[in-house]
Amino acid sequence: MSVLATDVRVRLGRTQILHGVDLTARAGEVTCIVGPNGSGKTTLMKALTGEIPYDGRIELEGQDVARLTPDALARLRGVLPQASALSFPFTVQEVVSLGLLDRRDPRPVRHALAQVGLLDLAARFYQDLSGGQKQRVQLARVLTQIGTPVWHGGARWLFLDEPVSALDIAHQVQVMQIARDFALGGGGVIAIMHDLNLTAMFADHVVVLRDGAVLASGSVAQTIRPEVLEPAYGCRMSFGTQPGSDIPVILPLLAPQAGAADRAGAA
Amino acid sequence: MVALDLSFAARDGDRAARARAVTLLLSLLLIIAVLMSLAIGAAGTSLWSTLGALLRGEEISLTDRVVLWQIRAPRTLLGMGVGASLAVSGALMQGLFRNPLADPGIVGVGAGAGLGAIAAIVLAGLLPAALADQLGYYVVPVAAFLGGWGSTLLLYRVATRAGRTSVAVMLLAGIALGALAGAVSGILVYMADDTQLRDLTFWGLGSLAGATWSKVLTGLPIMLPALIAAPFLARGLNALTLGESAAFHLGVHVQRVKNIAILSVAAATGAAVAMSGGIGFVGIVVPHLLRLASGPDHRQLLVNSALLGASLLLLADIVSRTIVAPSELPIGIVTAVLGAPVFLWILFRQRGVLDL
Amino acid sequence: MIARSLVRPLLRPVLSSLLCAAALGAALPAQADPASRVVSIGGSVTEIVYALGEEDRLVARDTTSNHPAAVLDLPDVGYIRALSPEGVLSVSPDLILTEEGAGPPESVDLLRQADIPFAEVPDGFTAEAILAKIRAVGAALEVPEKAEALAETVGADMRAALDSVDVKDKRVLFILSMQGGRILASGTDTAAAGMIRLVGAQNAVTSFSGYKPLTDEAVAQAAPDVILMMDRQGDHAAANDQLFANPAISTTPAAKSRAVVRMDGMYLLGFSVRTPDALRDLAAALNAGHGDAEG
Repeated sequence: MSVLATDVRVRLGRTQILHGVDLTARAGEVTCIVGPNGSGKTTLMKALTGEIPYDGRIELEGQDVARLTPDALARLRGVLPQASALSFPFTVQEVVSLGLLDRRDPRPVRHALAQVGLLDLAARFYQDLSGGQKQRVQLARVLTQIGTPVWHGGARWLFLDEPVSALDIAHQVQVMQIARDFALGGGGVIAIMHDLNLTAMFADHVVVLRDGAVLASGSVAQTIRPEVLEPAYGCRMSFGTQPGSDIPVILPLLAPQAGAADRAGAA
Repeated sequence: MVALDLSFAARDGDRAARARAVTLLLSLLLIIAVLMSLAIGAAGTSLWSTLGALLRGEEISLTDRVVLWQIRAPRTLLGMGVGASLAVSGALMQGLFRNPLADPGIVGVGAGAGLGAIAAIVLAGLLPAALADQLGYYVVPVAAFLGGWGSTLLLYRVATRAGRTSVAVMLLAGIALGALAGAVSGILVYMADDTQLRDLTFWGLGSLAGATWSKVLTGLPIMLPALIAAPFLARGLNALTLGESAAFHLGVHVQRVKNIAILSVAAATGAAVAMSGGIGFVGIVVPHLLRLASGPDHRQLLVNSALLGASLLLLADIVSRTIVAPSELPIGIVTAVLGAPVFLWILFRQRGVLDL
Repeated sequence: MIARSLVRPLLRPVLSSLLCAAALGAALPAQADPASRVVSIGGSVTEIVYALGEEDRLVARDTTSNHPAAVLDLPDVGYIRALSPEGVLSVSPDLILTEEGAGPPESVDLLRQADIPFAEVPDGFTAEAILAKIRAVGAALEVPEKAEALAETVGADMRAALDSVDVKDKRVLFILSMQGGRILASGTDTAAAGMIRLVGAQNAVTSFSGYKPLTDEAVAQAAPDVILMMDRQGDHAAANDQLFANPAISTTPAAKSRAVVRMDGMYLLGFSVRTPDALRDLAAALNAGHGDAEG
């Protein structure tokens, strides 16, 4: 009931992107991968989902990812990409139907569209939607593909690459809520996140990457802390808590002199 | 009934029902086109009275028999095969390259087949006499097929590294190979004598006039497997519209889809071009019209492309062999004259969508 | 495999002749009559049919048959190398009379399967070739005496013409086309080269055979005294200005004397019954250094 990565190394061309990453993600939890740009988050995601070759070992529900066929993988996990282009004019209904792996039973499609709140737009053309709507249509497609969180006694997995990057604040919460519900239902969720506040709100487990290696790993309380995040991002931050709870709230702090000097110099 | 069905299909955003209705209509169109192709021609042989005479056990004249059985029947079958091959190949290429303007030319089939045909026309005299006798007038089709197939495999090899085919590399290599084939063709054209030059011109314009039973029996066995394989690629091509990695995540064996699609296109287009010369625009216009009519879902698009491509080519061929009868207008002219304005109209109407 | 490849070519004609014989049955005796529905393919052949006075037997022609004008009223079955089998069959011919090279071979095969006799007339660019053509047409139309008489007349005319013409020291450059300033000229082994030789002039280009593009330097080196071209529609004065404005041609002796001769293509290059007249016209025009000779 887990995703288990051991000493995962990935080299692209001459550049070593991942230097031996260990990661454990459990079903029933939302695992968030955070870290600065270029830290290897997306590459790690690609390795975990079986998209690119890697050294080391990755197990999905006890099975070696490198040995699973695309079809077997598709039944175990769904992947929401960062951005999706669509080369032909499909309707929303048709895009979500692409997630149907088997016979043509439209019910999962309608259900997934209802979940992301886009049932009204089913007959619209995908390319006419806003960026945020497109992102939610893609999520509905992945939900259609993956179906129920538990399957044959094992968990199914949702991999989300920056799922909220194109969304307004209300829809960010909506999408993260869907992810959490999936985990509460017994499935596993691994999400790449840039938004540390949403991470703090929804993550059960956080992995902090920097320069292709794991800098820290653990609960929100263990990882969403200045000692971990300030060196990880190279940025000073202000930490508080949400009103009436101990959920952290993070704001970046300007490095006043340097920033002001830069702007003055540029002007 | 159908009208009700269509409005329902449009409302819930799923055009599969509409596409299936289109399949039905196109099947009827193809049946009509086949009958017209058998019934219409310069010779004025009547299909119905001949069939009637046949049923009554009466004698049919030799001319009528040759016209119906040796000329119109193989020509109709070849026209169906060529039209379906070109249209399905176009749809496959557009799906694989995720570009509504792709056509089989992109994988070098056209350039290679053209080079093969030109080489055969100009250099046929250099073949060993025994081989030339054996091949007879198949020298040109065989050379065109080998040229098309060979250049596709070459491009495919160039673009494939570590088991992954780069679509972008294939496009660029196709341009380079096209330029090379053009240059070699130019050398051969320079060497050609007057008669050969005229043969080259007519080959380039395309025609079904050379249809014989033996051509049908050599061409269709190459085209049919490709046409039959195409619908099995539908789900993969649908997923590929989201990009290669999304397709992989949806459980599609992307490299396998590429392999089958490219080899099918090389076979079907290679055979079609070899049998009929250069016939343009079918591969682009047919899938595009169908996407406008019933959506881009490849499960119906590929089947409908085969039906519409076959029908359109038969109808174009009827025009080509009756409009200046007893002479014949090359069919490539007819498809281009009809296809180019349609294509321009599509571009004009679809600018917004194409700019995606 | 080897056995099959050996047997097939042998078997095929046998089978098809058996099939044809079986199919024809009672129709066979009718073949004994001379052909009365003739498709004439090739301008030179058509001209000979008319010269023999057998034009009433024609039912169709090809695109290159444009003389005499009356022939244009007949249906056109297309270009000699791109015949449509059903188109040819649609005029119900009982003889196809053609210059060498009728095609495509698939169409010719189909026409043979429909049991339509083919008579192929040999081509050539000499005086003898013309007479041979006439005799071949006469044989196919089963009017050998008429053909012999015509051959004698044309042969005598030809000799008279050859005796009368004298253009020895003229270097002639035949230009087939000048698309985009590129000069497509005749080397050896062409109808144009044949006419230049017959008229007694020198072909300015002998370094290749057939029609090929000529570089500017080769044009200058060829140094033609006269340019020979086919007649086109339009304003010849303007066309001549354009011709001599071509940098390569402007250096030649022909340009200095503005010597260009234009003749109807079929008349000049047909090698048929009008060739003696064409020779006389060509000689006169070459000597005059200009001319728009009509057929």
